[in-house]
Amino acid sequence: MKTRMLLSLVARREFLERLRDGRLYWAGGLVAVLLFTALAVGWAHQREARAEQQAAQAMDYRDWLHQDRRHPHDAAHQGMHAFKPEAALAMIDSGINPFIGSTVWLQAHRQSEVKFNAAQDATGLQRFGNLSVGWILQVLGPLLVIVLGFNAFAGEREQGILRQTLSLGVPPLRLLGGKALALAASLAVLLVPAALVAAVAVAVGAGEGERLDALLRLAAWALGYAVYLGIFVFVVLGVSAASSTSRMAITVLLALWIGQAVMAPRVMSELSRAWFPSPTRLAFNQALGAELKTVSDQVWQKNFGTTERWGRDVPLSKWGIALRLDDQASYPAYDRHYGRLWDTWERQQQVQEWSGLVLPILAIRSFSMGMAGTDFAHHRSFTTAAELHRRRIQDLMSEDLVAHADPMGDRHFAYQAAPDLWATVPPFDYHPPHAGWALAHQARSLAVLCAGLLLAAAFAAFATLRQRAL
Amino acid sequence: MLRASGLTKQYGAHTALDRLDLDIRAGDIYCLLGANGAGKTTTINLFLNFIEPSAGTVEINGTDVTRHPVATKQDVAYIPEQVTLYGTLSGLENLRFFAGLALGHELPRKRLLELMTEVGLDHAAADKRVSAYSKGMRQKVWIAVALAKQAKALLLDEPTSGLDPQAASEFSGLLRRAADSGVAVLTTTHDLFHAQQTATRVGIMKRGRLVESLDGEAQIAQTDLQSLYLQHMRA
Repeated sequence: MKTRMLLSLVARREFLERLRDGRLYWAGGLVAVLLFTALAVGWAHQREARAEQQAAQAMDYRDWLHQDRRHPHDAAHQGMHAFKPEAALAMIDSGINPFIGSTVWLQAHRQSEVKFNAAQDATGLQRFGNLSVGWILQVLGPLLVIVLGFNAFAGEREQGILRQTLSLGVPPLRLLGGKALALAASLAVLLVPAALVAAVAVAVGAGEGERLDALLRLAAWALGYAVYLGIFVFVVLGVSAASSTSRMAITVLLALWIGQAVMAPRVMSELSRAWFPSPTRLAFNQALGAELKTVSDQVWQKNFGTTERWGRDVPLSKWGIALRLDDQASYPAYDRHYGRLWDTWERQQQVQEWSGLVLPILAIRSFSMGMAGTDFAHHRSFTTAAELHRRRIQDLMSEDLVAHADPMGDRHFAYQAAPDLWATVPPFDYHPPHAGWALAHQARSLAVLCAGLLLAAAFAAFATLRQRAL
Repeated sequence: MLRASGLTKQYGAHTALDRLDLDIRAGDIYCLLGANGAGKTTTINLFLNFIEPSAGTVEINGTDVTRHPVATKQDVAYIPEQVTLYGTLSGLENLRFFAGLALGHELPRKRLLELMTEVGLDHAAADKRVSAYSKGMRQKVWIAVALAKQAKALLLDEPTSGLDPQAASEFSGLLRRAADSGVAVLTTTHDLFHAQQTATRVGIMKRGRLVESLDGEAQIAQTDLQSLYLQHMRA
């Protein structure tokens, strides 16, 4: 009871002082304005992107269905496009979306890369990153905690108030608890209204079937940021307790902030690539091409006794079967090469997530993107679904060739499928994984953040117990 | 109530306090006199465990301060030379906060106003922000905190420094009333007049050592404190 009273007393006093000295209004107000601006920009962008994606996907499928009579393999070469749906939470964290493209061409013979990313259309300012709610919380959130709390202990020590307070017999850890509560309350005053507005925006912006999932994702996302900012609450208080002056405290904290917000992402990105090198595009394409040729040679040799493709050794009546065999032989090769590449990228990502123990921004960045559905795991899920759809199209077209063109003997090219064949290909209907899948994929980031919170709290407690009153 | 035995504090080769023995009983007003750097404030800081002794022991009400730093502070109230309060809060809000910390529960406004009145601050002053307070007014708020705490011992570091004569006199009156009610008082001061008027015991310190002790109001009254003090300082 006494502990709760002391915590509440210290927290109320700190909060009141922060309100009256204007820091909460100015620093907090600025961050709040940025948050709402980013939310509005994200909302507008998402509505536009979703409308474009839905219209493009519908138009592309309509074009597919409205093909005249034609050779199925010609249709397979025309293919379709899969347009990546904008995740409901992309409005608060666009993640890697602006850099990885949104459209994949489901063409014959080849697994295409996702193309047309927003960064291609952007100006050089894109280098500075997107103004998203996630970015503001990741980068400016800690700065706000620093501004609000850097002098919590150091300033009072300089003024002599700490000496007076400790002379009253207040247990230092209760002082720490009260100050931490006050900082948390200051952040909550700014962030809870923003979170509520974001929840409404997400609920309204989400499609009918995805609303609950989007809100669950948002709740987990908010929890991640609460842990992240909690880490900084304790780090700021710990540094303030350990510093002899508030000038020293803010210098150390700003150095930490620059290190983690500006330098760490770049350094760790380079380090993770050094530890788990990914191939260059040229090397990847060469290796993939070589294996495709090898498996194709094997298939042709085994089935037609030759490695010369589409030559006189294979009669036209077998070209449908040849197409199907050639395509199906390539699928495992694509899976192996893309799988290895994506696994490498995921290992690079894991390095960054583990680094979150000392550089929390790396862990929260991953967690935030993951819960928003804009990380690489979600992108991989979309790309895999698109590739499966491509294979379905190819297989359906090849099967039709086998069924209709092959019996025609050497009139393979004269065969034209009726439009009802096109309707056997379903529309590309991709549903992103659910919140539980995302949370399971981000369990490591969340665990790292929680461990970081415990470490930060332990550091703050240690520094507070060891601090000098004078 | 306040006891130091062989209390020593060294900073490297420099000895700030050298084997100090003190035993201040309930009702005593013990004035420590001495030049700057004599070890007076070091003594207070050791009683508050703001610094740790190099040798010797410090006890408050029979409890070792070094071993039980938080518990021993329950029995003392400390008044520094420069009282600092939260400038954005009013005097009353400061009193509510610090008294709440000291007592572990919040006092009602009525009781807080009584305490303010007791130390000579009227209601209008109580609701003003402390940034507009004089040094004396800030000190009165802190005395109100000490009164609220009802401590068994008072530790005062140059409490009358910078106070006008009337405020200093009022302060001496407060100390005497506290001592009469059984509180042990240890105060450091440069103010020989204040010491002579208030103290029941006087100690003169020089270079970390207690070089003179006067015990009892009669002995203090009969002594030319200024001459004695200067004699020690010149020796």
